[in-house]
Amino acid sequence: MIRMLLRVLGDEYAWAMRRTVILMTVTAVVEGLSYALLVPVLRALLGSTPADAVPWLVAFGAAVALYAVLRYISDLSGMRVGTTMLRGMYHRLGEHLARLPLGWYNAGRIGEVSVLAGRGLLQAMGVAAHLLAPFISALVTPLTIVAVMTAFNWRMGLAALLAAPVVAAIQARTARATAAADAERHERDQEAGGRVIEFLRDQPLLRAAGRTGERFQLLDDSLLDVQRASRRTVLATLPSAVGLTLTVQAIFTALLVLGAHLALGGNIGAAEILAILVLAARCADPLLSLSDIGGKLRGARSELARLEAVLRTEPLREPREPIQPAHHGLEFDAVTFRHGQRTVFDEMSLTVPEGQRLAVVGPSGAGKSTLLQLLARFYDVDAGAVRVGGVDVRAISTEGLMARIAIVFQDVYLFDGTIEENVRLGRPDADVAEVRAAATAARLDEVIERLPAGWETNVGEGGTLLSGGERQRVSIARALLKNAPIVMLDEVTSALDPMNEAAVHEGIEHLMAGRTVVMVAHRMRTVQRADRIAFLDGGRIVEEGSHADLLDHGGRYADFWNLSMAPAARE
Amino acid sequence: MTSTTDLAQTIEQPDADSAAGPSMTRLLRPHLRSFVAVALLQVIGALAGLAPLLAVVELGRTLLSPGPIDHTHVWTVVTAGAAGLLVRLLFTAASAGIGHLLDSRVQLTFRRQLAASLGHVPLGWFSRRRTGELAKVVNEDVSAVHPFIAHAPGELVAAFVVPLVSLIYLFTVDWRLTLITLIPVVLAIALVPLLMLPARTREQEAYDAAMGRIASSVVEFVQGISVVKAFGGGERAHRAFLTAADDFVSIFSRWVRGMSAVAAGMQLALSPPFVLLVVLIGGSALIASGGLAPADLLPFLLLGLGLTAPVAALGHGFDDLQSAGRAVGRIKDVLAVPPLPEPAHPRPPQGHRVELRDVRFAYDADHEVLRGIDLVLEPGTVTAVVGPSGSGKSTLVQLLPRFFDPTHGSVLLGGVDLREIGSRELYRRVSFVLQDVRLLHASVADNIALAMPQAGRDDVVRAARLAGIHDRVLRLPRGYDTVLGEETKLSGGEAQRISIARALLADAPILVLDEATSFADPQTEQAIRRALATLSGDRTIVVIAHRLETVADADTVVVLEDGAIVERGRPTDLLERGGRLAAFWRSRQSAEIETHGGVLRGDEPR
Ligand SMILES: Nc1ncnc2c1ncn2[C@@H]1O[C@H](COP(=O)(O)OP(=O)(O)OP(=O)(O)O)[C@@H](O)[C@H]1O
Ligand SMILES: Nc1ncnc2c1ncn2[C@@H]1O[C@H](COP(=O)(O)OP(=O)(O)OP(=O)(O)O)[C@@H](O)[C@H]1O
Ligand SMILES: [Mg+2]
Ligand SMILES: [Mg+2]
Repeated sequence: MIRMLLRVLGDEYAWAMRRTVILMTVTAVVEGLSYALLVPVLRALLGSTPADAVPWLVAFGAAVALYAVLRYISDLSGMRVGTTMLRGMYHRLGEHLARLPLGWYNAGRIGEVSVLAGRGLLQAMGVAAHLLAPFISALVTPLTIVAVMTAFNWRMGLAALLAAPVVAAIQARTARATAAADAERHERDQEAGGRVIEFLRDQPLLRAAGRTGERFQLLDDSLLDVQRASRRTVLATLPSAVGLTLTVQAIFTALLVLGAHLALGGNIGAAEILAILVLAARCADPLLSLSDIGGKLRGARSELARLEAVLRTEPLREPREPIQPAHHGLEFDAVTFRHGQRTVFDEMSLTVPEGQRLAVVGPSGAGKSTLLQLLARFYDVDAGAVRVGGVDVRAISTEGLMARIAIVFQDVYLFDGTIEENVRLGRPDADVAEVRAAATAARLDEVIERLPAGWETNVGEGGTLLSGGERQRVSIARALLKNAPIVMLDEVTSALDPMNEAAVHEGIEHLMAGRTVVMVAHRMRTVQRADRIAFLDGGRIVEEGSHADLLDHGGRYADFWNLSMAPAARE
Repeated sequence: MTSTTDLAQTIEQPDADSAAGPSMTRLLRPHLRSFVAVALLQVIGALAGLAPLLAVVELGRTLLSPGPIDHTHVWTVVTAGAAGLLVRLLFTAASAGIGHLLDSRVQLTFRRQLAASLGHVPLGWFSRRRTGELAKVVNEDVSAVHPFIAHAPGELVAAFVVPLVSLIYLFTVDWRLTLITLIPVVLAIALVPLLMLPARTREQEAYDAAMGRIASSVVEFVQGISVVKAFGGGERAHRAFLTAADDFVSIFSRWVRGMSAVAAGMQLALSPPFVLLVVLIGGSALIASGGLAPADLLPFLLLGLGLTAPVAALGHGFDDLQSAGRAVGRIKDVLAVPPLPEPAHPRPPQGHRVELRDVRFAYDADHEVLRGIDLVLEPGTVTAVVGPSGSGKSTLVQLLPRFFDPTHGSVLLGGVDLREIGSRELYRRVSFVLQDVRLLHASVADNIALAMPQAGRDDVVRAARLAGIHDRVLRLPRGYDTVLGEETKLSGGEAQRISIARALLADAPILVLDEATSFADPQTEQAIRRALATLSGDRTIVVIAHRLETVADADTVVVLEDGAIVERGRPTDLLERGGRLAAFWRSRQSAEIETHGGVLRGDEPR
């Protein structure tokens, strides 16, 4: 357990952790040893010379004082280690999550990560702060007491010692018996967590579908599953908890019987036997608490295991010696890429010279968004290479690549905060004039003017407090502000009316003059302004050229164009 | 018994106005019997647990008494002790088992109730809240109630009854030493108020708030992961998460530091060595002065610890109990949000003509988004709503499924105000494709059949065909059973077509499409337009579109600007008249003519 903790934490905390464990162990031993002094005290008090008890009592008092000091120090040390580790782990988790490939983030992850970052981490790190001390003392104190007992009366000591292997065996069995139930319980928790988030986030959808009136089946099923799983966990833990109690009590009974027997046989003084029985009673309580603490420790342990699993998930591999791209041209060289079984690109090749504006057109699902994602190295290709400035994107550091690319996604996502905060995310150190210029180019200035709170308007989680077109313009401004040499625009004006659309494209052209631009669009009017157009279908570029060339060619692109112009012509 | 009512009271306390929403007590009442059983079993078990200790005491008395030892008596005592242990084992195990099972049931009840009430609060309420924080209430906070349900009833009762019985017994033995034995307990209890200082409470609230911020920033982190990656250059984008975490940790350590001295003092006062020390000092003084028979010291050594153990257990679970109390407060807050009012006597709409009468609407009081809309949507017609981004188009159509109620004026469906139509009835009549396409983490078929869970596979396939997504679905790993978001993801246009299929399957007389084809390529767009045209004639259809090709097919066009209708009529008429719509049209045509003469080409018949 500790080893796992240390492994997850890395070396920096190892020393503090070890020190804490040692401190806690010493405290528990001192507690156990202090009980040894009870025997002479009781012998004196229960015997004929009660006055003899005084020096022993003083010694006992001193031992208790020592115990108190040690305990305070070790508790404090546990807390301190716990909180430092907690902070460290949050940072490690956050940084790791940001570096995991996009493919890792499927629909189930939201529940998983929420549980992990919420209760999981706290529980895992709580080991040092809350669980370790009681656990060590529940184990070590009884052992010390047994040692003391053995010193006073070996028969009683040995009888008590019998408990040790049984308790250990029960603990091991419990761990095994509950592992399956625990794991299932956790999985159900994660699922339900994800479902709850979905239920909350998709309220408009669910309401429109009339799914909130009665129980929403997907959610209710997962809640029921949680209940069933937790019932199974209870039933799985119960036998071992009973078993542990039974053992401890059986041993206590055995000591009682043995003590009575010895006393009746006159082998041992009455005072002694009573003192030992008092000690035995002291052993029982901590041992009984083991089942409770053990359960919590197991919980923490499995959280830790899950944390470790996430941290061990390979992030996108970073090049050992990153290369700086020499220019800002783009190239797909016989790229093959699959999403699971679906081959999105099949030896697809395409080049965009530096400073050129390429429009990518194609039927929905052709892989246009994927093409941009490969350029940004959100995924790695299965064969071939994607190059930026002549360098394979896998040989460029993530930071270096991201610094060169500004991207506007098809599905816009804004973070809860003001419009200004969201735009500034593009480049936090931009000055006011630059922010204004980006806003003007994206036609965001119109929005700022219209909304009463202006730049301070809160966009809501994901941007839901803005209209579709407003949200889109914020994300365009965010990308423009970044001022990167390569700009990728994925259906960036799909939610805009024709007037705003034209204005935004003019703005982008103006501000992004001279940059390498790749834009995806379905509205043909937007497309025709590009230097070059590539038509993507069936995993390859099937047509490529200027708007006029492609129209003359009379192929797929011309079909698209005519189709979208037809109704306009009809009027 | 007492404890259950205590519990109910504690839970009820946080605020008095529980008139709205079902109160906690009502949620807990069906479980009352189980609570009583848990408490009774626990008490019997705990009392039986005193038997072995008393056996040692009795053994001591017998052994220490002068004169010959009565063997049978010794063995009777030992047997009684063993029997007590067995009883304790059985009863406490039963109590704990029932308590935990009860806990899982109560949690389910709570979660279901939360889901039910969240499904009925006005949508506007959500936009001011963060998903992660709300989800935390349903998940973590309900789990945090655990100590209340599973531990408090049994252990709280035991914590009172057992010491009480021991105390009575100890008093009969020696009242002075009893008082001395009570010293540690009194010390510990005296420290309790220090754990509840205002500063502590504030810290705890801050702690909870910080945890909530972590929860919500994590949701944003995962959902916005693409943005995090693209704009994350050195942890900027997920700064929200790191800040929340740092805040949390520093509040946590401040709180722990504030508590640690007090908590340590409390734990020391209750720790066995300290209790034994007190008892022994008192005992030896009394024995030395001849006021106490040595054998009478034993019950204090054994039971004295029993006096403090429950208090210690309580102290140990004190944080848990307190945070459970706060969690209950948050749960109650959510349950207390008044739902969107349902009509007491719902009226059935006559037909499905939709009428908006002088409708005004504002999300925030200071900013009116709709400013006096009068509009009639006739059955059997297609109405297109156009207008600049942000003019209120989505807001307008969202009034139809009653996502919001107008702040002024009314929306009528079949002659009846929406507020007088039962929500079930309303949802059956209106189907909606939202501007933000959302897919559920469920199979394709379930996604399409969302509004009609009872629909058969044939119907689902028919809808998918109409929406032009059937072929793509067949190529998914498991066709219609493929789980979206898990086994596959879909492209923007594909997702949009799923949501169109969803609305088509619902087959409601009123169909609202909010930019349903913005991601569609021209061919798909045309196919969908044709499919919509074939829908049976009696439907009331509203489309919001930015592509004028879609608009041209409509019977009526409504041009919305800044929350008011500035123009309406047949598309051809409006274009001739040369108003706003014509201006829209022109801005785009000029762009086309300027360039490569595309319109001319478009003229050619295909
Ligand atoms: N994670 C995934 N797993 C499996 N298939 C995927 C995944 N992501 C995307 N796809 C599939 O890959 C194909 C290409 O998707 P992409 O988003 O690149 O299309 P697109 O050309 O941008 O389409 P649209 O115009 O509709 O946005 C689609 O058919 C999509 O269903
Ligand atoms: N939930 C909300 N809370 C507060 N304000 C909102 C909310 N939703 C929209 N708004 C504001 O109301 C106005 C109208 O938004 P609406 O979504 O109706 O516009 P729209 O005409 O559909 O625009 P678009 O074409 O861009 O989708 C916008 O200014 C927007 O910022
Ligand atoms: Mg796309
Ligand atoms: Mg809209």
